[in-house]
Parts: sequence; C-alpha cells; structure tokens
Amino acid sequence: MTIVQHSGAAAFARGAGASKPPLGRLSALARYGGPFAVYAVFGLLIGLPLALVLVQAVMPGLFAAQDASSGLSFEPLARVFNSPYVAGSVLHSLELGMLVACTTTALGGAFAVLVQRCDIPGRTAISIVPWLVFLTPSYLKALAWVLLMSSGGYLAQFGLLPAALGSAFFGLAGLVFVHTLSLFPLAAFIIGSALAGLGSELEDAARLSGATPLRIWLRINGPLLAPAIVLSFIATFAEVLSDFGLASTIARMSNFGVLTYGIYAAASDYPVDFPAAGAQALILLSLVLLVVVADRLLRRRADPRLISGRARPARLYNLGAWRWFAMAAALAIAFLALALPLGAIAARALTQTLGHGLVWSNFTSANLVAALSLNTAANDGLLRSLGYAGLTALIASSLALLLSAQLDRAGPVLRSAVVGLSLGSVAIPGIVLGFGYILVWNRLPGFRDWPFPHYGDGSLLVMGYVAAALPYCLVVILSAIGQLAPSLTDAARLHGVGTIRRLLAITLPLVLLSVVTAFLLTFIRTVFELPISQMLIPQSGPPAPTLILKLFSHDRDGLASAIALVAMAAAGIGAALVWYPLRRFVKPRRSVGYTGVGSGQAARTGTLS
Amino acid sequence: MNARTIFCFAIGLSALTAAAPASASDLVLYDALDFAGPVAKAFQAKTGLTVDVVEPGSTGETLGKIAAEGSNPQFDIVWLDGSAVMERMAADHVLQAIPAAAYDKVAFTDLGKSLIPQSHAFLPTGTSTTAIEVNTKKVPADKLPKSWADLQSFAGKVAAKDPNLSGPAYQWLAGFFQTNGLDAGKALLTKTLTNKSLSGLSSGGKVNKAVLTGDASVGINQDSAIFSKIAAGEPVVAVYPSEGSVSLPQGLGISAKTQHMDAARKFIDFVTSAEGQAAMQNGDDTDFFYIPIIKGINAKPGRETNITYTHLDDAVASAHETEWKQWYKANFVQ
Repeated sequence: MTIVQHSGAAAFARGAGASKPPLGRLSALARYGGPFAVYAVFGLLIGLPLALVLVQAVMPGLFAAQDASSGLSFEPLARVFNSPYVAGSVLHSLELGMLVACTTTALGGAFAVLVQRCDIPGRTAISIVPWLVFLTPSYLKALAWVLLMSSGGYLAQFGLLPAALGSAFFGLAGLVFVHTLSLFPLAAFIIGSALAGLGSELEDAARLSGATPLRIWLRINGPLLAPAIVLSFIATFAEVLSDFGLASTIARMSNFGVLTYGIYAAASDYPVDFPAAGAQALILLSLVLLVVVADRLLRRRADPRLISGRARPARLYNLGAWRWFAMAAALAIAFLALALPLGAIAARALTQTLGHGLVWSNFTSANLVAALSLNTAANDGLLRSLGYAGLTALIASSLALLLSAQLDRAGPVLRSAVVGLSLGSVAIPGIVLGFGYILVWNRLPGFRDWPFPHYGDGSLLVMGYVAAALPYCLVVILSAIGQLAPSLTDAARLHGVGTIRRLLAITLPLVLLSVVTAFLLTFIRTVFELPISQMLIPQSGPPAPTLILKLFSHDRDGLASAIALVAMAAAGIGAALVWYPLRRFVKPRRSVGYTGVGSGQAARTGTLS
Repeated sequence: MNARTIFCFAIGLSALTAAAPASASDLVLYDALDFAGPVAKAFQAKTGLTVDVVEPGSTGETLGKIAAEGSNPQFDIVWLDGSAVMERMAADHVLQAIPAAAYDKVAFTDLGKSLIPQSHAFLPTGTSTTAIEVNTKKVPADKLPKSWADLQSFAGKVAAKDPNLSGPAYQWLAGFFQTNGLDAGKALLTKTLTNKSLSGLSSGGKVNKAVLTGDASVGINQDSAIFSKIAAGEPVVAVYPSEGSVSLPQGLGISAKTQHMDAARKFIDFVTSAEGQAAMQNGDDTDFFYIPIIKGINAKPGRETNITYTHLDDAVASAHETEWKQWYKANFVQ
C-alpha cells in the first residue's frame, strides 16, 4: 500500500504533463478553456443564485416589491443578530449538529467495522441496510416517526409508548435519535470505504510483531482512519445544519427552532422578508464553511490518498458466540432505521384514517390504487419525477465526469477551490438555492428572457436538480479518477490520442462503477428532492415530492404515504436493475465491503431535504 | 479538453434539457386550494382553454413564490384563502383590480356581498371561518368549550396555527382581537396557548393531526378542515364560539401583468357558475367544504352554514398586521 498526498508525485507528474508551451490562440483557449468552464459551471449553477440571496443581507431593498434600491444597509444583519430567536436557533443548530455528528460517527463507524471486519451471520444482507436507509428521504423518515411517536400514534395505540418517552421524543433527544438513525449510513460509508482501502498488510505486520488487536486498532488502524472519522464528523455536521426535513417536522413540533426553518419561515409570506432570509442563510453558510476550513487547517494537507491497488482484503475477526449478539445489534439498528419507519408509512398508506388505527375495518387499497392508476394527479407526479430524475442523473454524472477529468489535471489551487466549493455547497439548503434560482432566472434582466432554461419550465427545475447533485457526483467521480495512475492516460497522449477518446476509452471504463454510482445516487435523491422541487415547480405540473408534501400538509397523509411508497419501490427497483448486473460485469477485485470504487466519498452525499 | 469539445457538450446538454417541454397554456393559476385542480379541469373541458395549475404547497409557500417573482409575475390568476394578503398584493401592484362588471354578473348572497372588497382587489368565490376543533375521544360531550374564553381550561392542550405562516390564522387573530378587545384578547391567549410546540403550527393539516393524535385536545382551525375530517369519519366536532365568527373569504385575484385577460374573465365566469361551484365541491378535502356565497348553491352535506358572523374591520386588521404577527411569534412560536 502506498500513501500519496494530493500534491504528491502523481499530481506533479500530471501537472508537468499538462504544462506544454502555448502554441497559439486555439491552444491557449484549450488550456484556459478548461478551468474557465469549471468556474463558469459552478458560478452559474451555484455561485450566482447563492450570491443573490446572500447579498440581500446587506442590500435589503434589492428585490423590494416597490422602489427597489441597491443601497447598502446593515440593518438586516443587526436585526438578525439582535433577535433572541435567531441566536437561539444558531445555538440549537450547533448543539444538534455537534451531538448528531458524535453519535452518528460512533454508530456508523461501529456498523462499518461490524459488517466489514467481523464474521457476523447475514453479513451481506445487513450490508445493504445503510444503502436503503440512506436512500429514504429524511422528511419521510421524520413523518414516519411522527406517525409512530405522537401520543395518539401507532406505538401508543399498541401500548408500546410510555408517556414520558413520547414527550421526550419531541425535543432534542428525539431529533438526535432520528438524525442518527437517518445519517449513520453516511458515517458507515466514509469509514467503511477507508477500512476497505486499508487492506491488511499493516495489520498483518503488526500482528506478526506481536501486537494485540486493541493495540493495532489504537496505534495503526485508528490513526489511519482518523481522516475518515473527521470527514464523517464534518459531513454529518454539515448535513444536520442544512437539513430541512426534520427541521420542518419534528424540530418544528418540538419548538426547537433551527436556522433552516428560520430561513423557510422568513421566505413563506407576502412580502417575503428577504433580508432576514439572506442574513440567516449567511450565518448558516458561515458556520459550515468555518468547519470545512477548520478541518483543512487542522490537517494542513489534503487527505492522504490510499492507493490500495495491492491491498488485500483484511481478515475477518472471529467473534465466537458474540457474533449472535453483534448480529442482533445490527438487526436492531436496521429495524429502527428502516423497518419501523417504512412500516409506519406503509401502514398509513393502507389505512383510511390515522385516528382509527390498525383495525381491519380501517384498511383500504384506495390510496395505492390512486398512486398506481394512470392519469391520476398522483401517478402523473410520480412519472414526471422519475423522468426529471433520470435526466438530471444523466446530465449531472456526465458533467461531473468531464469536470473531474479536467480537474485531475488542474493545479492544486483550482482543485482545492472546487473541492472546497463542493463541500460547502452540500451545506446550502435547497430552499436557499431554489430562491436564488427564482431571483436569477425571473428577476435579472438578460436571464429572464433566455428561452432556455426558463423559469416556470421543467428545464430550470432540472438545472436546479443538477446544481444540487453536481457537488456529490463530483466528489464521487473525482476520488475515483484520482486513484488512477496518470501513466495510463499519459501513455495514450504520447501516442497522439485525443482528449475525448482518452476520456471515453481509458478513463471512463476504469471509473465506470463510480460514474454509475453517481448516476444512481443522483437519480434516487432527485426523485425525492424536496426544497428545489417546491421552489421551481414547473407550470406543466408538480413533481412527486411537492405533491407528497402538499398532501401531507393538507392532511391527506394516506395518499402521500402511498405515493412515497410507490416512488421508493420504483426508484429502488430501477436502481437495483442497473446496479447489480453492472457490478457483476465490472467487479473490482479489491472491493471488500459494500462500497464500490469511490463510493466511500459517495458518503458525502447526505440527505439534504 | 478543448473549447470545441466543451461547446459541443454544452449544445448536447441544452438539447437534452430542452426535451422538457415548455409551457404554453392559456392561463397560469397559482393557488393553495384543494379544489383548484378539479375546477381547472372542468373549465378546460367546457371551454377548451388550457390551465396550468401551480401549487407550491401552503398559502405561505405560494405567497413566497409570488413575492420572489416580484415585478415579473408568472401567474395570470391567484386563488387563495384570506383577504388581507390580497389587498397587500393589490397595493403593491402585483394584482390589478377586478373589473366591476365581473361582480355585477354574479348573484351573490348577502354574505357574499359583504365580502366584496372596496378596492376590488379580489373576487370572493366562497368562504369559511375559524372554529374550535374538539377531539370527542379526549373531551366528553358535557365539557365542550362554548367560547374562546372557555379554551383557558384546555391550556397547554390547544393547537393553533402561526399567523405568520397561515393567512387564515391571521384573519382569525385579527377577528379574535376585534371581538375580545386587544388587551383582554392578548391576556386570554397568553393564558390559553401555553404550549409553544402546539401554538405555532404551519398548516390546518397539522392542527388536525395534533388533535387527532391526541397531542392536543382542542384546536383552533379553519372549519372546513374540521368538516372534511368529520366526513372522513374522524372523531372530531366543530364548535362555533359564542363571540361570533369572522369569515375568511377565498379570493381570486388577477395578475397586474397578465396577457390573458379574456381567459381570466372566462375563468371567473366559470367559477361563479353552477357548474364551477359543483366542481368546487367535487372532492373530500378541506377546501371542498367551503360555504357557498352564490344564490342557489348549497354546501356539501354535513357542512354547517348557520353561523353567527361578525364583520372584520379590514383596515384595522391590515394596519396592525406586522405588529400583531410579531407579537404572536414572540409569545407563542419562539
């Protein structure tokens, strides 16, 4: 196993290869066109919309209904900073983020070690659980837990809910509980992929030298996994800060105000309190960027890259009789994180009313029938979302592949700028981005007259989806491309093979699995993406998430649950049909656990909704 | 990668995304009312004019979208609960005045006539009001509240909507202050809404849910939401407070920048016709249980219409809107 830094030999070799003397205008374009394209894509998709939202924190009159002005004022910031509510929600967000980051990293790490390094029975089946949990949108899980934990909810109806537990749930404890169960896959992916890359050489060497397992974990595996643990902590923290699904359900019901809900509340009225929304968005983003920057500073250098082409799968620990206990623990997590919430949604989808509970006379198939019959609003929304999601996944993963190929050859400044931007933009709440999109494409002269993409069309919604998915895709594919030896493409280039052919014939086959991972993740997440769907709802009809939420807020949670159930089934089956044959086809020899190449970084793809 | 490649790729992407069809309908309707979809469908079937129905979610979310669109509104018609917000949009020139002829064509009942705004900011198409929603499994029949004042005995178990997020809730708050007096009303609410996790809900659906799950024993909710739950077989009743109820009109407004005035007029004609009113009742959700305000039109079966109304002073309600909403937020939400 070789450990190479980002700015190490490989990157240097690539940089050297790329720095040929300029030949003329065309080659200058070719040389600067790439970085320019990278900046342009980020600027247009994320930078400009975000800037328009944030700038209102200091230019409150910019988009006023009457007498718009670009005068500078610090009044909104002062108002927000003086508001005890905002101060409270900042503290709440931080408190929740920190707690959940700890619990999630611990649970996810333990889960990864258990599944990847211990001989527990049913390992393969259990290893699918994090993926399923990860792909269930957070607002659905939150709503499911509300159905379960309310004082008249399913658990209380079965007499399984002590009153004290029920009231404690709607508060910090419940939020930490649901967030941890919802986000632990993120930590399991990040730590799991680092574990897989670790191989067993170092461990075997230590064991041969007489080190005990405890010592091996403390002195060898622990330090090697430290970057992954820190990344998991940061990723979870950023996810919690920017989460809207739980913020608008459990947190709201518990009067536990968090920043994302504050932004939403400021933006849901006429006239919108844009300055307050902008100022709170500014605080939210600053917090996340602070963490990302702190992480960079702490570690000084970029992540150590584990080039593990020669790493052998590690030996499994034999737990003896304890393995049954370990399996029970893993199954308990699977039950709480997946089976119970999905069961609640399924129960609600199959019943007429919540109040009458799970009695025979209350069961109905009407909701499912409505979701599955053609030409109902529910079914139209479902098909529309599947279409948009497919298109988005195609565009985002292709764009990310092109950008990654470009970035891999770029200098360290551009590279770290883009990685930083991607990490930062994960934390941008979709609702802020959505508002930014309306401002850019419906208010800015020049943009609003473009025929495409156009505000009110599906085209802008797809563009918004792409913007939300691109950072994730980029991180997944970039990490896979980064693991390729530069000599492969360099050799081709020396033989005069063109850029596109190199990308398609050499790079793409080698990173195909991670491109497909990016595609599938984007597809499934986009089917359920809520805030952007809501802000950029096309005039031709609503996508499924908007419909689901609307039905929930109009108290038709039975039909909403049915749509959610069918959408999950459709997305899951579709993804499995693509993933499993492909994985068999290009099975990477060194894949150990349940993560494909680079899908550890797929772990960055949390559940922003 | 050279510039040509990037260019080709960009063109390819554009072509792909362009596959999503652009909208070119005769009317764009923004709304937060359950019956808007069925009404648009019936209108389309009758006139052949196409309507795009855009429903971002709650009234607040729809308003947020309209506000974000600002001076370049994309809708032709907006159809929402609440009169005050319509007045505000008209004052900001987001809406244009409804032509006087449109009102004259409609045979409004007396209640309907009382809802027509002087500014002509909107055309009322129906109404509802706020009532006390009671979970009959939690509250025995002899303990039912009879007035807003009676809610004190349920302190901590009362669900209510945040007027900052719900147009109907502000209408209720303003009416409540009008009937109870400002200071007495504030004192009464302070004694009643002692559980912040129940008093800042964002929609009527959430009030329903709180009452149905038993988190709350009673809720302050739009009465049509209560009747739709009763029709669905849920164990709740609607109680009208003895102080009187302030009605909450459903208003239909026309965008100041519409290019489709003819189609908008035809839509208004349809909505106020017997056929349109039938489409407005062709469903089981909250808004289908509205109170008709046109002569000869009856409400859905089971819907109470014999209600004692008090008239809301819109000018007072508008003038204090920011202040009262902030007071509510500071005391019962945050």
